[in-house]
Amino acid sequence: MTRYIARRLAFAVPTLAGIVVLVFALLHLAPGSPVSALGEGSGRRVSQQAAHEMQRLYGLDRPLPERFARWISRVARLDFGESFVDHRPVLARIGEALPYTLVLNGLALLLTLAIAVPLGVAAGGRPEGSLDRASSAILFALYSLPAFWAALLLQTLFSVKLRWLPLYGVASDLPEGGAAGFLDRASHLVLPVLCLTYGSLAFFARLIRSSVAETRNADYVLAARARGLSRRQALWKHAFRNALIPLVTLLGLVLPGLLSGSVIIERIFAWPGLGRLYFDSILSRDYPVILALSLLGAVSTLVLTLVADIASAVADPRVRDGSIS
Amino acid sequence: MNEAAAAGFPAGRAGSSARSRPGRLSRSARGALAVVAFLWVVAAVSPLFSARAAEIRLNDRLLAPSRAHPFGTDDLGRDLLARVIAATPISLAIGTTAAAVSVLIGFSVGATAGWFGGMVDLVLSRLVEVVLCFPVLFLLLALAAFLPPSPLTVIFAIGLTTWPGDARFARAEILKTRDLDYTRAARSAGASTPRILVRHLLPVAAPPLLVSAAFGVGWAILAEAALSFLGVGLPPPMASWGGILAVAPAYIEDAWWIALFPGLALFATVSAYNLLAAGLREATTEKSVNR
Amino acid sequence: MANPRKGVLLASIAASLAAGIFLSSGCRDKPDRAPSASTRSATPRPAAVAAPLGFLDESGLAPAGEGGTLRRRLSGDPATLNAVMQSGLPEQEVLQYVSRNLLDLDSQMKVVPGLARFTVSPDGRTFLFTLRDDAVWEDGTPVRAADAVFTIRSIVDPKIPSPVFRSVFDGLLSVYATGEKTFTVRFRETYAYRSMSFVLPLLPERRFAKKHFLSAPDNRAPFSNGPYRFVSWKPQQEIVLERNPRAWGERGHFDRIVFRILPEDSVAYRSLLAGNLEETRLDSTGKGRAAQDPEFAACCRLVEYFDLGWNYIALNNRSPLFADARVRRALTMLLDRAAIVRNLFQGSARILSGPWAPDSAVYDATVSPLRFDPAGAASLLDAAGWRDSNGNGVRDRGGREFAFDLLVSTGTTAGRQIDETFAAELARAGIRATIRPVEWAAFSERVDAGDFEAASLAWSASDPNPDPYPFWHSSQWPPHGLNSEFYKNADADRLMEEARAEQDESRRTAIYHRLHRIFRDDAPVIFVATSSQKFGFSRRVRGLVTSPLGMFGIWPGPLGWWPAGEEGGPAARPPSSPSPVLR
Repeated sequence: MTRYIARRLAFAVPTLAGIVVLVFALLHLAPGSPVSALGEGSGRRVSQQAAHEMQRLYGLDRPLPERFARWISRVARLDFGESFVDHRPVLARIGEALPYTLVLNGLALLLTLAIAVPLGVAAGGRPEGSLDRASSAILFALYSLPAFWAALLLQTLFSVKLRWLPLYGVASDLPEGGAAGFLDRASHLVLPVLCLTYGSLAFFARLIRSSVAETRNADYVLAARARGLSRRQALWKHAFRNALIPLVTLLGLVLPGLLSGSVIIERIFAWPGLGRLYFDSILSRDYPVILALSLLGAVSTLVLTLVADIASAVADPRVRDGSIS
Repeated sequence: MNEAAAAGFPAGRAGSSARSRPGRLSRSARGALAVVAFLWVVAAVSPLFSARAAEIRLNDRLLAPSRAHPFGTDDLGRDLLARVIAATPISLAIGTTAAAVSVLIGFSVGATAGWFGGMVDLVLSRLVEVVLCFPVLFLLLALAAFLPPSPLTVIFAIGLTTWPGDARFARAEILKTRDLDYTRAARSAGASTPRILVRHLLPVAAPPLLVSAAFGVGWAILAEAALSFLGVGLPPPMASWGGILAVAPAYIEDAWWIALFPGLALFATVSAYNLLAAGLREATTEKSVNR
Repeated sequence: MANPRKGVLLASIAASLAAGIFLSSGCRDKPDRAPSASTRSATPRPAAVAAPLGFLDESGLAPAGEGGTLRRRLSGDPATLNAVMQSGLPEQEVLQYVSRNLLDLDSQMKVVPGLARFTVSPDGRTFLFTLRDDAVWEDGTPVRAADAVFTIRSIVDPKIPSPVFRSVFDGLLSVYATGEKTFTVRFRETYAYRSMSFVLPLLPERRFAKKHFLSAPDNRAPFSNGPYRFVSWKPQQEIVLERNPRAWGERGHFDRIVFRILPEDSVAYRSLLAGNLEETRLDSTGKGRAAQDPEFAACCRLVEYFDLGWNYIALNNRSPLFADARVRRALTMLLDRAAIVRNLFQGSARILSGPWAPDSAVYDATVSPLRFDPAGAASLLDAAGWRDSNGNGVRDRGGREFAFDLLVSTGTTAGRQIDETFAAELARAGIRATIRPVEWAAFSERVDAGDFEAASLAWSASDPNPDPYPFWHSSQWPPHGLNSEFYKNADADRLMEEARAEQDESRRTAIYHRLHRIFRDDAPVIFVATSSQKFGFSRRVRGLVTSPLGMFGIWPGPLGWWPAGEEGGPAARPPSSPSPVLR
């Protein structure tokens, strides 16, 4: 096991290096600069001389390899530098946006699992039953539904026509304490959480369903029933446990996306999370922030995939039993 | 781009319906095929509507659906129905081509890695990982900034970011088959590598690749719409469903029809392709089991 | 040059500039700044300007209320609250309350004393400033000449980004203190509009001593020398200010100012209706919605005015397509600006004939814009040699088709709508324009480098400086300056040079009027329109003043607003004269 992990970690190094070099190169070769990104909306034009001075100030007049060396040597000391936009530490800006993304995506993931697990087990317990067929049709439709369109429709219906829910934002403009404030914040979460949930719902529910369906007639499940467990108990205790392995693997694939935030959903709902920070940073060419977010995204993907692989190895009864005996 | 959807298509073997006979498409898949065929017919006749779709009438801005404009008009007074029709060939062509590009790259890389193994596999697998872990949106935005916005750019951008899924898949398929008896036999008979790959391994890998490509079309159409929605897709006035949708948020309180109709077309198309893909997968898995 | 009698040392430039404003537009009824005047009502503009909107001035009403909280909207989080490093509108709107400027611009676009008075040497290159005796920071220590010197040196320090102020100090020779309250600023050359450079807030020197300038704590919590002082800033949420107990000079009428950061227009609109906000900007759609909304009418009023901003479509005059003035004129004649004003801007816009907004002091209203005339444009294009020789529907000349890319910055709805309308009209005339949306960073880089054929742009002005030299003089072609269109006209060059050095306002205006005609006929760009700025204001706030500089960046501007009390309360008073913008 240790050797396996070490091997995987060793492989992660060139992958990370590749990503970092690519992002850095693309970023600095792409047209536009932090200086040319200034003044959007204000229409002000920075004089050419002032623009040159600012380029020098940000070190953009140095050759690319030199800039890369400087950046990477700072990152090695876990120093991501300061944002070009407000000159605050990059980590402070990320730290500000992270909780928003975590709340939104965490709730969406919980909701997904809360629906997908019972639904998947129930549908898998009786393949081709009416529940299975109905749920599979609905899940299929949801899978094909573009999230940004669903967001627009939900906004039109619930915010514009019915006025039940806020259109976007984190809270009404007067943040209140207590129950009223909590309800207000919760109401702002409803639509974005829905939009994030329904897409991944199909993945999870179908996965659990097929895994349960496969094993519901396996020997050990039948044996459990012979020992006197009800059908429901047998399904949950044994068949579902079998579904945990692919579930953990899928979680490993999905979690990094949850961390980095959904750019489109955060944009439509004006949610100040990491996805929006990323998008805004690209538009303002805030190189230190873009680089840090890309690096964090890549690292979390690699690490979580690895963790998922290890977890599924541990969860696998064959592996586990083998290690016990 | 729903990040979760980027991971591929719904996991798990699709509805293992006992009723569908092997080698034949299920009823729903045949229905989906009919929808896809209808869409291509619409695409074929769409040039008839392109003049109407481009006609700007500032006096008729943001009209609600009526007899004259069944889908209403957009923010420049263009007929929305005509625009949705005119967008059909663009969305279909981009989706199909981008999916083909993705499968082509993915298959080449995956097959090469799987066939040669060793160092080649190691390096190519890292490449796949780099692209998988690469921030997709950033790549798309960077590409859009580098290249002038055009259908080709969009195809390139989508194809370049979606192939790793196909590559992993192709690699696994090749790994499975390369040590099978008939492959060994062909090799010992002196067949060249490309010849074996094309003559012996491609036929085995083709059906799943087709399925993957069909799912890819749906995904690519979605991705194009999302890109245009973010403003980095096709240049105006070229209509694409996502491009029409892009103006919807600005008028969400005044003109719901701008959000509804192009989205419906998008949803119908993506559903049809996905259903078709699921049907294809079902049919081909049954077939391979029977063999 | 100075006028010491009133104790107000105003440079002749500023005074004559103000006179010019009244000469050209003739609509502002007060020839002098009179803070004590009790009534100042709006006068309709002359018919030549044909403004559908009035000029709102409630500053003459006696403030009927004091205290309470004013809740304003910011459309984005400020990047910094460091006066020198500010780069956008949100920063300026907050800093205005806590930092007094050396000089201010009033609603008549005149330069008036702020923290300081000044005299200027006869050659116009040396400025002598005297700070007010009573000016103090929030801890009671005096504002000193050293603070001003430190601020200006920071602006020109290449290690400090100062996108707003760096450009206006380009010709700085030296700045030094001559006493506790006096300092001198010297420039390389005379410049008619130099005094506007000093509409400049100050930084307290000692609070930046021994600190890294870019990351000093004061950048997030500014130290006040104004009527209000900083209390708190919750990123992406709100910024709170309160009365500065050590304030000197004019004071505001509210106890607290709360800026709510609300990026989305419709969220802000809802807050306004709910009574949680006192003002918000509206777009054209929002204005239409508000006009029909009884809820809005019950609590709020619409304030609409024209400022000095305008839209245009830049043409690269070096491109073989646009080198011929006849072609550029033809393109202008192919843009149906009347229909755009009527439909896209719903009437609240004005067509332009030159590179200034109609409210600019130098705009010559007798220069009529080119008319929408497709037939006339066709014959101009024919005359310039652009004919459809191969019958493919696109004009060509010497084997080159008349086809070009029209850049537009993504995210500007108005720009894209104008461009699509324009491209459709051009197609009918046998010209193929392909619209290329480019995001701002890349867009502005290409425009500044002159690397484009045509581009859709908006101009905005925060001061009344009409000097066309940096943008239209042939010495300012990229990469040296901002004449990105590569416009060149020897006559225009000469006139621009003359105007820059001309100290007499009326003579300068006469030069600009001649230039205006040249610009109209040369059509270096397609001048499109200036559209109105629209705001929803709670009826609880009175004392508003609009000006071509907007209603925020002027003195006293928002500091002159006062609370009208609750509806029906004794404090509520009708305005002395109904203004056309009150609906």
